[in-house]
Amino acid sequence: MGYGEVVDAASSTKADIVRGIRACRFYVYLLPTFVLLGVFCFYPPILGFLGSFYEWNGANVKIWNGLDNFAKMAHDKVLIASIGNLIKLATFTLITSITVPLLAAELIFNLRSLRAKYWYRVLLVAPMVVPGMVTLLLWQFIYDPNVGLLNAVLGVFNVPAQRWLNDPHLALYCLMFMAFPFVGGITVLIYLAGLNSIGQEVFDAAKIDGARFWQRFFRIDVPLVMGQIKLLLILSIIGVLKGYGAQLILTDGGPGYSTMVPGLHMYHQAFEFDHLGYACALGLALFLVIITLTYLSMKIRKPETE
Amino acid sequence: MRSWGRWRKRLVEALKHVVMGTITGLVFYPFVMLIVVSFKNTDQFMHNPWFVTFPLHFANYPAALELLVRYAANSVFVSGVSCLGTVFLAAFTAYVFARFEFVGRQFLFYLIISLMMVPGILGLVPMFMIVKRLGLLNTYWALILPYIAGGQVLGIFLLRTFFSAIPSDLFDSAEIDGAGDFRTFISVAMPLCKPMMATIAIISFHGTWNDLIWPLVVISDDKLKTITIGLLAFQSRFQSYGVAVTQYGPLFAGYVVAAIPLLALFLCASRYFVEGLTSGALKA
Repeated sequence: MGYGEVVDAASSTKADIVRGIRACRFYVYLLPTFVLLGVFCFYPPILGFLGSFYEWNGANVKIWNGLDNFAKMAHDKVLIASIGNLIKLATFTLITSITVPLLAAELIFNLRSLRAKYWYRVLLVAPMVVPGMVTLLLWQFIYDPNVGLLNAVLGVFNVPAQRWLNDPHLALYCLMFMAFPFVGGITVLIYLAGLNSIGQEVFDAAKIDGARFWQRFFRIDVPLVMGQIKLLLILSIIGVLKGYGAQLILTDGGPGYSTMVPGLHMYHQAFEFDHLGYACALGLALFLVIITLTYLSMKIRKPETE
Repeated sequence: MRSWGRWRKRLVEALKHVVMGTITGLVFYPFVMLIVVSFKNTDQFMHNPWFVTFPLHFANYPAALELLVRYAANSVFVSGVSCLGTVFLAAFTAYVFARFEFVGRQFLFYLIISLMMVPGILGLVPMFMIVKRLGLLNTYWALILPYIAGGQVLGIFLLRTFFSAIPSDLFDSAEIDGAGDFRTFISVAMPLCKPMMATIAIISFHGTWNDLIWPLVVISDDKLKTITIGLLAFQSRFQSYGVAVTQYGPLFAGYVVAAIPLLALFLCASRYFVEGLTSGALKA
């Protein structure tokens, strides 16, 4: 820092100013990003939070009504029905989306042929290129009461034709089984990555100790892929709680309210009835539930292993 | 005894293949059926819906394409612009965060990352109001701007980690040679992170191409509809109620057409995608 002392005070401040101005350019660089994020990512949740405390129709009415929107939820029959549906849907989805891919991953992992391993992996991921909408419409066709695939298959076994999505007792189960056979997308790959990162010596040790497959599975594999299980648990929770695309396209919550879920209820309140304040409150409630459940799942500890 | 043991092993191995084969078959059957039916006319569909029938009716495809081409073009434009915008802006922002020191750098970065924790459901209704107030309803911008904004977050996160791992000497030497900030970014930083950028591009394109609820909310003009919601309009053309029969051939040909761009993208970029996932994302 020797020469810094000989520079006179005036030019030193001048250099500071120049450096200061040059440093400002970083903020200019970040400006476009932050303008976009501000308008479309930061502002909406804030506005949604505030909107929950208003009676708001999106046009001329915006009246502060405190916690009325939240009080209204307790008497909202549609919401209560939708929560029941969501609990059933979520339980089923969480169980299937965590266990079935793990079993499939174990099967692939324990295959001896490397080439077969590779191809099963590719084939399980390949359906991701089919747009979600096409998959939805395909399932609509599978469930079609008149010409659908499912009734045709059951017809072979002399099972009478069902009305599936049009039957209030079956519609919700139909939505659950749209993920059949529950191994789609990258879940299997995530588990495989976890299994691959377990060292071969661990498996060898288990073998020498005479562990049978199921013993190894529960004592070694499951504890060691707990990280992946947690990740998938969180992703499925978020996915199932905020998702309502299938309901929106296939059933619109019906017949009756048999497939209504809170997300779709929010959508209806906002875009069909112009109850924007109430819709915001529903969004906020869902958001709080999602955050709480995510937080709780992150708290799950690995079981103690030696 | 030994030969029984070997046979048992083979049997178990075969059994695994049977189970996995069945599962993959079940995953694939709907798509096979989709393609099979897309070549049928109504008569063939009524008499033999599940197996290939001859002659194949290739004419279903031009018929479907004619109705879908506008929606597909909209989607290509919207997803393409969003994807390029997301990748470029995310890369530049990530570069600024990784390369330069400035007051509030950590804070601003964590501010962006915190968005990953906020599920979109809270923002849907207000976002609609914002877009409406900006006068963007029924424009491409109602889709593109939120897509770029939302897609950036993950991109910035992944790319910043990537850029931080590159020795800064590389950038310094470019600057000593007289390159400005932008020049260094474009000529030095961008070529290095190609696989990462391709990965983010695919994630972005896949997400926007498939998005359903947001376009449904902000686009009602049939001329501007994206392929996802265009398919609904398309479907209602072929779906008939009462006596008439739904024309499944051209309908399913349309579904196949809607899947082709994503398929093409994955085939082109899968090499980069795999490279990107193994080079940065998983280690991040």
